[in-house]
Amino acid sequence: MARLRPKNEQSTLICVGYESPNVTEMNDWIAIGMLALVGLSIPLGMMVVSYLIRPSVPETSKRATYESGEIPTGGTRIRFNIQYYMVALLFVVFDIETVLLFPWAVVYQDALASPEYGLLEALGPMLLFVAILMIGLAWAWRTGAVQWAQTRTQAASDTDRQ
Amino acid sequence: MVGAITRTPLQNDDTILLPERIGDLTGLDAYGTGGELLAIFLAAFLIGNLMLAMTGVAGPWAKRKITAAFTDRIAVNRLGPAGILIIVADSVRLLSKELIIPENADRPAYDLAPIVIASSALLGFAVIPMGSGIHLADPEVGLAYVFAVAGIASIGLVMAGYASSNKYSMLGGLRAVAQNVAYEIPLVVTGMSVVIFAGSLQMSTIVEAQAATFDLGIVSIPAWYALVNPFAFVLFLVANFAEVGRNPFDTPEAPTEIVAGYQTEYSSVYFVLIYLGEFLHIFLGGAIIATIFLGGPAGPGPAELGIVWFLIKIWAVFLLTQWLRSAVPRVRIDQLIEIGWKGLLVLSFANLVLTAVIVGLIA
Repeated sequence: MARLRPKNEQSTLICVGYESPNVTEMNDWIAIGMLALVGLSIPLGMMVVSYLIRPSVPETSKRATYESGEIPTGGTRIRFNIQYYMVALLFVVFDIETVLLFPWAVVYQDALASPEYGLLEALGPMLLFVAILMIGLAWAWRTGAVQWAQTRTQAASDTDRQ
Repeated sequence: MVGAITRTPLQNDDTILLPERIGDLTGLDAYGTGGELLAIFLAAFLIGNLMLAMTGVAGPWAKRKITAAFTDRIAVNRLGPAGILIIVADSVRLLSKELIIPENADRPAYDLAPIVIASSALLGFAVIPMGSGIHLADPEVGLAYVFAVAGIASIGLVMAGYASSNKYSMLGGLRAVAQNVAYEIPLVVTGMSVVIFAGSLQMSTIVEAQAATFDLGIVSIPAWYALVNPFAFVLFLVANFAEVGRNPFDTPEAPTEIVAGYQTEYSSVYFVLIYLGEFLHIFLGGAIIATIFLGGPAGPGPAELGIVWFLIKIWAVFLLTQWLRSAVPRVRIDQLIEIGWKGLLVLSFANLVLTAVIVGLIA
């Protein structure tokens, strides 16, 4: 293993800086790729085994779409609640935000420990960033983007919500 | 009290990973790069099959036994001691079922969905330190990686829901993705509050950072992040149950409303793969919880017992999911969205900011 994974002489990193891609990382990703290979071959292997031992009795009626025993009506590309779209849109914003917060979380303690940065410099920008997003969430909340949309009849009865 | 935080280097290269151990033990190291690749393959094969075996025990046997115990029944008890051989019987039974594909199914997506769901969960175990040297890879970005690959399952659920060409499946797929996106952010943000303590995303470093102990006079307790920051632990548990779609958040497959959600039209081996993927995700969730909140493989006794403690911890999380399944009612889809976006999201950001402020004031 010595070739693919040499001992790293540099044992302490003060802050995240760009490091030339070293061979240690390489070996980790080879192992992960190998697990991906195993993870793909296990389901495929099960499919092959099942293909070899399962019966096949083709019959058109059994392939009909399941609708609790009724004869299926209409297509499946139905209209659905707009809310599913709203939350997906909100997710895109917040997901990118979490990605941007990760590097900050990693270097936060090192920044506090170093004499150049005080608490305000290390924490302030992140607080501002989260505050801006929280204003966005408050606005989404106010306009009803995270409130489940209801039809008039549903809102009137308030019991049969879907 | 939290003053006992020890600073650790960002990149930790001292961990001896499983491929190296196997290479040393079998003498494969002597055969150059090919031997090394074979050692890595053997390690990956071992991890994959360990997880498969756990799912095999959990799905057909443990789940039935646990649910039966909650409802005062006996459950499987005919084949083998305590019915344990039902695992073999069930695997044969399920794999030999006829595969019925609905006539309007969107073929490539319909066939790919079970594979995506099953293998995405397995990928996450690559970076989990399971103790006793069972640790496949230890990249610097471990925690971000594990969240990323666990998220791939959402794509599989949407594929299954859309491609089945069934109204129940469609609704189930939509619900699944709405739920996963709503709880993904609280999950990741709460995980980030652990990163603030550990100062690294690398799994081995996060585990090492929890090795210290607090002295409370009579007893000394380990510095597990579940005890350092119990609020984050509870938030993470709740978000995790929603993320793996277990009670009280099993709305996507709610059997009393939409038959079986996205898996309504799946039978035979495809059903097995989706079921397998769900169980692997429960165990992956348990493994993440054990690693970042419960000290990973830490426990009393020699370090060789690590894997035992690790398995006990993830089975404890599994037992908790089954307990909730028997004890807690399901939330409605509108409640689910509101709990996620108005409750957990706000609480998880409050937790992150509070953790950062407290750590900053102590430092």
